[in-house]
Amino acid sequence: MTRLAAALACLALAACNPVLVAQSAAPPGRSARLDEVRGFWGLQSYRMELSQGVALALTCYQGGPCERMAAASDNPGIAEVRRASLGTLERSGMYGQATASAMVVVGKSPGTTQIRVRTKDGHRDIAVTVVPPPAPAALPATRAAVR
Amino acid sequence: MGGALHQASLVGQCAENDVACSRRHPQAPIAIGTRFYPEVAASIDGSSTPNLVLESAAPDILAVEGGALVAKRPGASAVLITTDDASVVDFVHIWVAPVTQLTLMRRDGDRVEGAVGLTVGEDVTITPALWNGAQRLSGAGDVTWTVSHEGTVSILRDGSPDRRRLRARAPGKTTVTAALGEARASFDVEVVP
Repeated sequence: MTRLAAALACLALAACNPVLVAQSAAPPGRSARLDEVRGFWGLQSYRMELSQGVALALTCYQGGPCERMAAASDNPGIAEVRRASLGTLERSGMYGQATASAMVVVGKSPGTTQIRVRTKDGHRDIAVTVVPPPAPAALPATRAAVR
Repeated sequence: MGGALHQASLVGQCAENDVACSRRHPQAPIAIGTRFYPEVAASIDGSSTPNLVLESAAPDILAVEGGALVAKRPGASAVLITTDDASVVDFVHIWVAPVTQLTLMRRDGDRVEGAVGLTVGEDVTITPALWNGAQRLSGAGDVTWTVSHEGTVSILRDGSPDRRRLRARAPGKTTVTAALGEARASFDVEVVP
């Protein structure tokens, strides 16, 4: 009975779209976050806020590391997405393990765009907003170190 | 400086025991107008380091030119460490800051303050240190060196873009000045027979 429930859970999981998880932190004073957008039927999509010039690593999971993951940005001039090589193992299915499936998103210029993640069995969209970095505080005048 | 994914590191290229080298400050912001020469290494279980390439997320702030990081304007930029087929292995966020103060140091790290006395034929190596307030910056810039009275000391290059060797030539007094942009520092030198 337990095995049947586990098998059904596996099937249900396989039918779901992939789950994305942030794998890096924002640098000080900058933004790099991934949030879930949930609706009546649960997780619908993601939204990401990223500062210009900042990178954020994500992993893709769908009952295990996503198979045949491909990610593309509608506007690479605003947010660029790159495949990443993350040398860690994640649980895959009931008993297996596989190398993590990862990507890195880079904030290139302020604006909004969509990143579309496709896998063997599903897809997810990320609504990306790239925000400009904060203006630097007023700097002290250059001082001369004279004798 | 470890990467965000804990797979690669990026430190300055320095000789062993060179206390004045930027390896001491691998996590400091890079000074505008200077270049930082990084050494990249990866640590991936079951693999030697693949062929790695550096790429800047914001080249208008921090450019990658010939393997060096070139600081252009204040801000922060991710530097992606990628394989030669563009797969990201790791990344590091690097800050760029303006120089507000320039000080001079001996090679052993001691700050040069007041006058320096030399005998004819004696050498002293001087390294400029770049600061933003109380924070020391990394990077090597094209510092301009001048002396007030020619002939007393010679300023010799020693292979570093910013470090200089001063050789006492003839008895007398002179003032040595180093400048990078608007930041400058100077000290008196007295040469005795």
